[in-house]
Amino acid sequence: MNKIIVLLFLLTNFADFDVKSDQFITRQGQVSFFSYTSVENIEAKNNQVLSIIDLSKNEIAVSMLMNAFIFKKSLMHEHFNESYIESDLYPKATFEGRIVDFDPLATGAQTKMIQGALTIHGITKEIEIKTTIQDMNGSYLLTGDFEVAVKDFDIKIPPILAPNIAKIISITFRFEYRPYEK
Amino acid sequence: MSINAQNLLDTLEKEYPDIPQYEIATFKATRISIGHSIENRKKGVLEVVAMNRFWNIPNYRGQSFVADKLSARIALEYGISDRLTFGAGGSTLDGIFDGFLKYKLIRQRSDGKGSPLSVTLFQNGSYRSKKRNRPFFMDVNRFDDFSDKLAFTSQLLVARKFTPQFSMQISPTYIHRSSSAFEEDPNNQFAIGAGARYKLGGHVSIVSEYYYVINPLKSVDTYDAFSLGVNWELSDVMLQFQLTNTRGMVEDAFITQTPNNFNFKDGNLVFGFNAIFVLHLHQKQK
Repeated sequence: MNKIIVLLFLLTNFADFDVKSDQFITRQGQVSFFSYTSVENIEAKNNQVLSIIDLSKNEIAVSMLMNAFIFKKSLMHEHFNESYIESDLYPKATFEGRIVDFDPLATGAQTKMIQGALTIHGITKEIEIKTTIQDMNGSYLLTGDFEVAVKDFDIKIPPILAPNIAKIISITFRFEYRPYEK
Repeated sequence: MSINAQNLLDTLEKEYPDIPQYEIATFKATRISIGHSIENRKKGVLEVVAMNRFWNIPNYRGQSFVADKLSARIALEYGISDRLTFGAGGSTLDGIFDGFLKYKLIRQRSDGKGSPLSVTLFQNGSYRSKKRNRPFFMDVNRFDDFSDKLAFTSQLLVARKFTPQFSMQISPTYIHRSSSAFEEDPNNQFAIGAGARYKLGGHVSIVSEYYYVINPLKSVDTYDAFSLGVNWELSDVMLQFQLTNTRGMVEDAFITQTPNNFNFKDGNLVFGFNAIFVLHLHQKQK
């Protein structure tokens, strides 16, 4: 009788162990953007980007605070938040999408497309991003870059400053995911 | 077992760390229009400031270009830390040299917690090197020795950004003049300033400022300083235009010693133009 109880106990315990989380999160994701023009180069980096992936459904979500972007010049930070992105009204940029044909069993790097909706400045655009996914013993590294057009997101640039800001902004990202524990 | 019925973005929403969020740019420039705002520049930022005032002389028959009279203040203002600014300048009118320290004491939080106001302390000292040579407006201080020509202004600047467009500031002010040429004039004067800005777009705002003097000078009629202006920012350059009745650009001069009221008569209406160049001497990227 005692043996049966021990066996039951072990069974239930191991069954619990088998329930592996399919969700992976990063709280220090990096997103940088670059605007290169002949007048001036602007670059900024955000090291506090949140992102989560759900491998059971191949879904991904990203969320970041716009005022967490760090610029070389403090005045650029103020202008970015105050005059362009209007982070008073739209504090966050988010992305919600799906990793197409992701194979969780594959080892090493795989290059996949992510399809989803990117929201900046309150405006949502459907985009496709090419990403490299690396499996590193139970954690995942996602890297990639893509470009967005400033005018797609209704960001107003006065004509006199138009030469200072690129029409197309390039964005790079690097997310290192760890298993998500609630 | 919980199924991930929940949206992934909602999950992330709960993961944001509780970092205090502060309001930025309650005002765009370190001055609202004529007086100081609660804003200061970040560490390592140098502002090169050129302030100009233009006005006409009543019934003057001369042929000056644009305006009869011009006064200018050239100043350098440097961010010692993110909260402390030091500045020094010289004005052509009355030859006033001034130096100031400005410290941001309390920052308004934008996340609904903490302080609903921003508070900045301002202290300056000014030295009046030239005797005034203006008709009907005598000097109110003595010029016997160095300390006679000094004046000090202390301000408590309190501001709140009510909406992304609208900010307001109240500035209780104490001004001490080291010497008085006339016995009836107070050496210690108190004033209350009020200023506001309304943002018309990302880069342009309209501003107004008013200083009410509680115990004005007695030997001469003075009027409260008033200003109506437009501020325009262009990347590293800030332009401030104003219509005002003040010609001085140092606090003790324009708050307590403005000899004319605000109206559109020649000699009373002053057109002002501040150009501020912002240089980042200490560039950092964490």
